Amino acid sequence: MGSFSEYLANIGRSIVTLGDGLAVTFSYLLRKPFTIQYPDRTEKPVVAMLPERSRGILEIDINVCTGCSICAKQCPIDCIHIEVVKDEETKQRVLKRFDIDVAKCMFCGLCVEACPVSGLRHTHEFEGSMSDVHRLMLSFVDKPQPVAKPAKKDEPAPETKPVGSIVRKLLADWWKPANPTSGGPR
Amino acid sequence: MTEVLQSTPDREELILNMGPHHPSTHGVLRFIVHTDGEIMRKAVPDVGYLHRGLEKIAELQTYPGYMPFTDRINYLEVMFTNMAYATAVEKLLGTEVPPRAEVLRVLVCELNRIASHQITLGCITMDLGAFTPFVHLLRERERINDLMEALCGNRLTFNYMRIGGVSQDVPDEWLKQLEAFLDHFEPVIDEFDSLISYNEILIKRMGEVAVICAEDAVGFGLVGPNLRASGVDWDVRRDLPYGAYPQMDFQVPVGMGEKGTVGDCFDRFIIRVEEMRQSCKILRQCLANLPEGDIKAKVPKMPRPPKGEVYSCVEGARGELGVYLISDGTPKPYRLKWRTGSFAGLSIIEHISRGLMIADLVAVIATLDVIAPEMDR
Ligand code: SF4
Ligand code: SF4
Repeated sequence: MGSFSEYLANIGRSIVTLGDGLAVTFSYLLRKPFTIQYPDRTEKPVVAMLPERSRGILEIDINVCTGCSICAKQCPIDCIHIEVVKDEETKQRVLKRFDIDVAKCMFCGLCVEACPVSGLRHTHEFEGSMSDVHRLMLSFVDKPQPVAKPAKKDEPAPETKPVGSIVRKLLADWWKPANPTSGGPR
Repeated sequence: MTEVLQSTPDREELILNMGPHHPSTHGVLRFIVHTDGEIMRKAVPDVGYLHRGLEKIAELQTYPGYMPFTDRINYLEVMFTNMAYATAVEKLLGTEVPPRAEVLRVLVCELNRIASHQITLGCITMDLGAFTPFVHLLRERERINDLMEALCGNRLTFNYMRIGGVSQDVPDEWLKQLEAFLDHFEPVIDEFDSLISYNEILIKRMGEVAVICAEDAVGFGLVGPNLRASGVDWDVRRDLPYGAYPQMDFQVPVGMGEKGTVGDCFDRFIIRVEEMRQSCKILRQCLANLPEGDIKAKVPKMPRPPKGEVYSCVEGARGELGVYLISDGTPKPYRLKWRTGSFAGLSIIEHISRGLMIADLVAVIATLDVIAPEMDR
């Protein structure tokens, strides 16, 4: 008899505690939903909703880069490739190549912290899916150009392009069917 | 029972594979389950599927360069792995961390502990068949992720700490947002309790199941909540104080056998709920006593710690998380070894699985909080 009443008590307790739980669940019917509908049912584009420090795809403003290669040395997985050569005629150091392998990058931010002129920075861009992983090697130097001189102490810091504009252009270019053999959506 | 556990000509055992891709094994992890009917004779874990060689990578990286790799030890305990590694290198270098950085470290660690326990508790309930609490806790974790993203720029692989301090100071308004989160979250814990913790069905699934006695817990080297659930009162934060923890006032919850025996699955569950409350308490103290000052000590760009070896541990969400580091005076570590709570938790499963029902194995794995990437490393 004892075990039977225990059995009934168990069922009773289950129903009561289940009711408690369902009351909590039910109360959510009356609260504001927390979910946002990514990607297109948001008030602003998601990129604009990210916090200031968000670490997205890297970009480099080559007009301020001094070609010091500190960032490339800091990167633990060597995904920044910089080539600086000396122009024989003008005796200037020329930035020939500045590539960032975004496919390999782990967005740790060590390179950005190390850059003395803040030419390298994180953007808020994160939607970089492509059908060809090699295209994620972003090249920021179209034609070789002399490196920037580091600003003197009392000089104002040089103007930089708005954060994100450079990468957005590179990513957008990819979707244009420019070169039929490589790139372009397949 | 005993005849079930022995193989005789007419009682052969059936060997089942659970995993490597079983949804309840929290990563890629395989169990070889020897069964007789519904009863397990033993469940033998098979690990190594997620080995990424993170200890070897350390030998190829400079000291600061290894910091982002520590994020990958355990995706739920990032701040703790950061901190264990940073404190190890600081001990080698003899660096003093500024007080503000120490408190910021405690702050982010406790925030991370809450996030980690949310996933654990959610997974326990989900493995036992209740999906709603998991979604509720995931929603709350999303708020923590947002806070972390505003603080250090990433939602999962924070890479927030640096040798000698932390990478960035808190942004404006962040402390207010954190306080708002705490005001919001503390009632949610109570809500979670009435939603599922004291649900009779859950209690029946977890109470008296897979009891780990104190001797076994110590013998198998369990740490953290798993150890405390077995009634052993040991917490690295209190007993081997580090960082800013000596200034904090908090209790260490210990398993009481509330719905069964001390050390059963329910104890391991409820202790984590209680730890979330304590973490909230510590967070409030951090907010009240955040000192002003530097956030990073002066450390050379390419530190070369003197020859020597050091062991440094922190209390992670899965217990003692230790780094054993040997330096040979070069800019790269000579050897680095991680000691993680999940591995100890896993090693006891073969011992306690004897005589359990197959369906209880998921409860055991979930409440021991075994995270596959953390033990394979
Ligand atoms: S963010 Fe990290 S991984 Fe990416 S390029 Fe910079 S240093 Fe390298
Ligand atoms: S991006 Fe910065 S760190 Fe890298 S080469 Fe240019 S100036 Fe130097």
